[in-house]
Amino acid sequence: MTKVVALYNIKGGVGKTSAAVNLAWIAAQGGSRVLLWDLDPQGAASYLLRIRPKVRGGGSKLVRGKTDPAAALKGSDHELLDLLPADFSYRNMDLVLDATKHPTQGLRRVLAPLADDYDYVFLDCPPAISLASESIFAAADMLLVPLIPTPLSLRTFEQLRGFVADEVPKPRPRILAFFSMADGRKTLHREIMSAFCATADGAVLDAAIPAATDVEKMARERRALAGFAPAGRAARAYAALWDELEPRL
Amino acid sequence: MDPRASTLLLPDGLSASGAADRLAALMPVVTQRAHAVDRTFWDTFDGRLHRAGVALAEAAGRFVLMDATTYAEHASAQHPRRARMLRVEDLAAGALRDELAPVIEMRALTPIARVRSRLLPINVLDDLGKIVVRLRAEEPVAILTGGDKLALRTRLHVAGVRGYDIDHDVVLKLLTGDIGLEEAPRPVLDDALTALGSPVGGTSSKLKIELDPAERADVAAVKVLRRLAEVIDDNTPGTLADVDSEFLHDLRVAVRRSRALQRELRGVFAPEPLRAFRDGFRELQVLTGPTRDLDVQLLEFAELAAGLEEGATEDVAPLRRLLEQRLAVERRAMVAGLRSARAHALRENWQDFLDALVTAPEDDRPDAARPIADVAAERIGVVYRRMVKMGTAIGDDSPHEALHDLRKKGKELRYLLEFFASLYPPEVVKPMVATLKGLQDVLGRFQDREVQADLLRALGDDIAAMEGGAAALMAMGVLVERLAEQQEQARAEFAASFAQFAAKPQRRIVKATFG
Repeated sequence: MTKVVALYNIKGGVGKTSAAVNLAWIAAQGGSRVLLWDLDPQGAASYLLRIRPKVRGGGSKLVRGKTDPAAALKGSDHELLDLLPADFSYRNMDLVLDATKHPTQGLRRVLAPLADDYDYVFLDCPPAISLASESIFAAADMLLVPLIPTPLSLRTFEQLRGFVADEVPKPRPRILAFFSMADGRKTLHREIMSAFCATADGAVLDAAIPAATDVEKMARERRALAGFAPAGRAARAYAALWDELEPRL
Repeated sequence: MDPRASTLLLPDGLSASGAADRLAALMPVVTQRAHAVDRTFWDTFDGRLHRAGVALAEAAGRFVLMDATTYAEHASAQHPRRARMLRVEDLAAGALRDELAPVIEMRALTPIARVRSRLLPINVLDDLGKIVVRLRAEEPVAILTGGDKLALRTRLHVAGVRGYDIDHDVVLKLLTGDIGLEEAPRPVLDDALTALGSPVGGTSSKLKIELDPAERADVAAVKVLRRLAEVIDDNTPGTLADVDSEFLHDLRVAVRRSRALQRELRGVFAPEPLRAFRDGFRELQVLTGPTRDLDVQLLEFAELAAGLEEGATEDVAPLRRLLEQRLAVERRAMVAGLRSARAHALRENWQDFLDALVTAPEDDRPDAARPIADVAAERIGVVYRRMVKMGTAIGDDSPHEALHDLRKKGKELRYLLEFFASLYPPEVVKPMVATLKGLQDVLGRFQDREVQADLLRALGDDIAAMEGGAAALMAMGVLVERLAEQQEQARAEFAASFAQFAAKPQRRIVKATFG
């Protein structure tokens, strides 16, 4: 059965897109059929895969269920990884969803006809908590939350957990976090990671993504790390993250 | 929708790297490092994968089911064990097994050809540097059993990327138009099989014989019987090696068909040698019967047990074990019989007999020189009328044997129609076969359920003595009851299906065509 993993955080700039692209690529390298849906109107995931951020027929129509999602798919440079590209109209996704009969079911509805074609679907989500987020929660089996090891970031994570537990109807997605942009040289990072892992009831994965130049280079190379720095620290960290994550899906 | 894919032949003398150079002059491409793939292709004896347009290739323990021509992958799975044959149940649950199961059914897969290919990936890029078409130049070599190699035609696989159909079409047009490449008429595997001298598309057990209505009846009979002898020979090694149950099935059908022709066209043979051969073929039928019955029982076991209440399906496990043990015993006896000098002599003498038949004296072969269309029509008419008479006499209280006898006669008619269909108008033969098939299905179910129930009853004492036997006996009771219900159901359907078979318009057509 297809598993839907949403890379999600209320905050921006925490490494969602890098994680989405690299995890999707690694999953495809492992032989799984993978779809990455770039839900962020900025289209960073589409950019990294060298695919134009434009949905055939329009992103709004797609979300409203008026166009065939299969027609909007784009193959990536990996044969087992497809992309549903970003579309600038996603900036209005809340409005588009709100105009439909069941707004929170919008994304789920789009994915339904593609379910048999993929083993994993990764959602690269925009940073916000809104109606679109609720639609993401309804579509995802898991929210995978990148956390920068700072006190504020952890507070936001707790807020998210509280919101999902209190406000999101069942079946709720599982929530797992991993540390992103972690700098082992910083005492604060090390302390926060260690303290948070001890209190998070297993909600934090062991693998942490380091703050590495390779990750920044992705935008220049326009490729997943496996394509240009497969043996680097960051690529190995994403591989470890996937190894830890996959059995939990 | 799957991305577009096609395969083109490279002209003789143009290597993969030469093709890459020519492409680089026409479009932005990135050529990757060439690599070798050593594939062993698998299929069933009768080429079911070939018929479905797919190929199953194994490389380094990984089995990939793919489009036979373009190699577009459908499903794959790792199979760690080195095997000489594979059945569906040997594969791990998953997409590969799911896709193969309905195609190969009960047949086993065996290696049919080994091809080593040098693959040169050439990717066509768009203005963003993204891959929009994948080209793979393939230089294949068939590997013979002794290790010798035979070079096959080099080809270029053109695979589109989802969402980039226009780019695919442009590239394809360039390749077929400007460069002048032609579409590959058949897959690499077919070229390899031809080079290896193996049948392309497997070995069929179908008759596929065209007869001339005016040709001598003995000539026509020999054509049919030679083909049937060929089917017996084709299927004997697989039967002896127990590759799958279809070998024995096809062998038995060919034996039964041969016997039907020996009986129905007896006027083309001299009575004395024929009698000996009829005895020999009957022995062959009897020799192989118990193994086939147990094969059927085991093939249908899962379906039969599936309807049992939860828990009871476990209870019948001892029954399955016992059936398997019995099958092993019967199979040993059958294999010994098939390997015997007697069976060998029967096959050889039969061939010699067929070779000499047409030139043999005709004094005691009254039908030998008559046109086959006349002789066959006579027999078809006689058997049809006989069936109508037998079926009409069957009432609610008729013994089971009456239906069994009718089924046997029906097989005779079915075979006659199969042998000689090409001599008569299809608009006569087709509806006749259709109504006959409907009737035979009902009669077949009626008899098979009885045979299965008898077999289960006969195993009762042995089952009782096994561990878990009491529970198995109870479950078997349910199975026997269910078989009896199904037999009753078939009996209830008999009248309607026979009425169609023997309907007046059909009788008139049979009379007009066959006399």
